[in-house]
Amino acid sequence: MANSSDTLFSKALRLSTLLALVIALAGSLLGYLFYQLPGVFAALIGAGVSALFGTMTILSIWFGGKLSLNGFYAMVLGGWLLKFLLFAGVLLALQNAEGFAGPVFFFAVVATVLGGLAIDSWLVLKGRVPTVGN
Amino acid sequence: MDAVNIAELSGNIAVVGYGLAAIGPGIGVGLVVSKTIESIARQPELAGRLQVTMWLGIAFTEALALIGLATPFIFV
Repeated sequence: MANSSDTLFSKALRLSTLLALVIALAGSLLGYLFYQLPGVFAALIGAGVSALFGTMTILSIWFGGKLSLNGFYAMVLGGWLLKFLLFAGVLLALQNAEGFAGPVFFFAVVATVLGGLAIDSWLVLKGRVPTVGN
Repeated sequence: MDAVNIAELSGNIAVVGYGLAAIGPGIGVGLVVSKTIESIARQPELAGRLQVTMWLGIAFTEALALIGLATPFIFV
């Protein structure tokens, strides 16, 4: 039987993915209106990258929670470090890209990150995680 | 050396922005994690609940970092 943390994290994963899809779709439409095809690519990359990183946080805490306390912190903090190195690499690659719609990328990242936070907060406030054990 | 150009810097100022965007969230995540470890050491039976709360703390802190790292796309 799935425990309550499993239910919480799997729900967070599903909702975050759904949100990223919605933002990718809406961002593509807006990006196309303002920047044509580069705007579409920027919105898709922005929503995809930030959704991937939000997902990595959830997965690291979910599966790290099944390890010992040291394993948990190694997974969460190691995942955090890896994520930011990857993000810096993606930004480096995109910064010099020809005809890349930077503002669309930025707003797609901000929308996905803030939307993800709203989902996480709502789930934690609403979710029932027992005080003792899982 | 030309005295006028003694303090001249070259390069992209966005690099400084990347550094600044990493400092605050780095400290923030350190605090979140250290306080969670302290709390688990005091009350190990609360570990599950504290880890879920820590997730929220890390999510908020890293949001600032992600937004900070992406700002050169609109400011430069």
